[in-house]
Amino acid sequence: MMMNNAVSEQYLKLTQELRRGILVLAALSQLKEEKYGYALISSLAEKGLDIEQGTLYPLLRRLESQGLLQSEWNVEGSRPRRYYVISPEGEKTLQDLTGDWRKLTEVMKELLADIANEGE
Amino acid sequence: MNLIDRYIHEVGRHLPRKNRGDIQAELRSSVVDTLEDRFGQEPTEEEAAGLLKEFGEPRVVAASYHPKGQYLIGPTLYPIFSMVVWIVIAAVLGAQLLAWGISLFVAGESISVLEIVASLVSSIPASLGWVIITFWILQYFDAKPVLEDEPWDPNTMPVINTFEEVKRGELIFGLIFGTLFLVLVTLFPQWIGMITYPGGKFYPNPVILDYLVIIQISLLANLVLDIFLLAKGQWDLATRLIKIGLNVFSIVVLGFLVQGHNAWLAARSAGGFIEAIEAVSGIADGAWNVVGMHAFRLAFVIAFIVTTIEVFKAIYRLIKNKLQGELSVKDLALKVE
Repeated sequence: MMMNNAVSEQYLKLTQELRRGILVLAALSQLKEEKYGYALISSLAEKGLDIEQGTLYPLLRRLESQGLLQSEWNVEGSRPRRYYVISPEGEKTLQDLTGDWRKLTEVMKELLADIANEGE
Repeated sequence: MNLIDRYIHEVGRHLPRKNRGDIQAELRSSVVDTLEDRFGQEPTEEEAAGLLKEFGEPRVVAASYHPKGQYLIGPTLYPIFSMVVWIVIAAVLGAQLLAWGISLFVAGESISVLEIVASLVSSIPASLGWVIITFWILQYFDAKPVLEDEPWDPNTMPVINTFEEVKRGELIFGLIFGTLFLVLVTLFPQWIGMITYPGGKFYPNPVILDYLVIIQISLLANLVLDIFLLAKGQWDLATRLIKIGLNVFSIVVLGFLVQGHNAWLAARSAGGFIEAIEAVSGIADGAWNVVGMHAFRLAFVIAFIVTTIEVFKAIYRLIKNKLQGELSVKDLALKVE
């Protein structure tokens, strides 16, 4: 039982690590139109990518401080919300990262081909 | 809602002051957005509590907003910090020993073990405290070590620093003499002394008898380490540190012996070694005693100096090894970056 717990905890860490790498690309891809945090989480969740709130908000701030996102408070709705949108520099980065991602997925597909077959 | 206010306030307590208000406002809007989306306009306290649990503990949530992480001394500065700590410990220890030696041999003052321990206990942590404060400030201002611009050349890597093999001959020699001396001080301490000439009368050395127990402890501890080293065949960090510790202890013991001899000679208003030898022309038993005690004192002073030099050499070697180790770790870290 102890062993199972240890393995599942380790597995959880590994998947978190795997996902952490793609979060930037995922967030940038969804911010061509401005969105506030919760709307972004919902939009990503709808497409099958669940992000914890505690992970997303610091990430958005980091991307903003790196100049990849811009943000402003909007007080028009039921409550003030901070809206994020991709910056011109962010657009360029998104293009480059998307290119890298496509290459990576090709390579990974190749690498994992046998494993996928075994699993089927 | 009370619970949310308390949550936002609690997160804010751990946030960096600069963006606190902004982060709190954003967090509040996202908590309320989520609550409304899941439970409508009138969520219960229980539902709010459940959601806040999902958001996470305030301290953890706040920590994720610290861009540089939360540590006193980060991984970039740590190798240099660790090196400086070693140098400072060696310097403080060296300065203390030097001060003690000067007061013992030059000023002829006597110091108690408690005084030595007390001064080390206060001076080492105080010095390390200053090192930590300095590095803390450097970390706060995000200081980074200046890295060389030149491309890394594999040939410049330090050679692998294995701790060298022990010198068996030296160890066996030390073991034999250590054992003989231990047997002598344990079984026949009254045999250590001086014989008057002419007259052939034997006087045991009273100072050695006074400090018998710590002499035995020091000898025994050194013997145990020597036997262990002989069996292991190699030095490592722990044995090097233990050896330094034992040598420092030996220095303390030798210091006491010298101090004891000083006191003995002072009580007899004896002058220097040469004067004592000159006084022997009178051939009085007491004068021979003084010469003997002077000779013992000289031997202990020499042993004191030799052991002190050995300690400094050992500390220097240790720091040198450590330095090379740290540098290779730094190279590795740079490569990963």
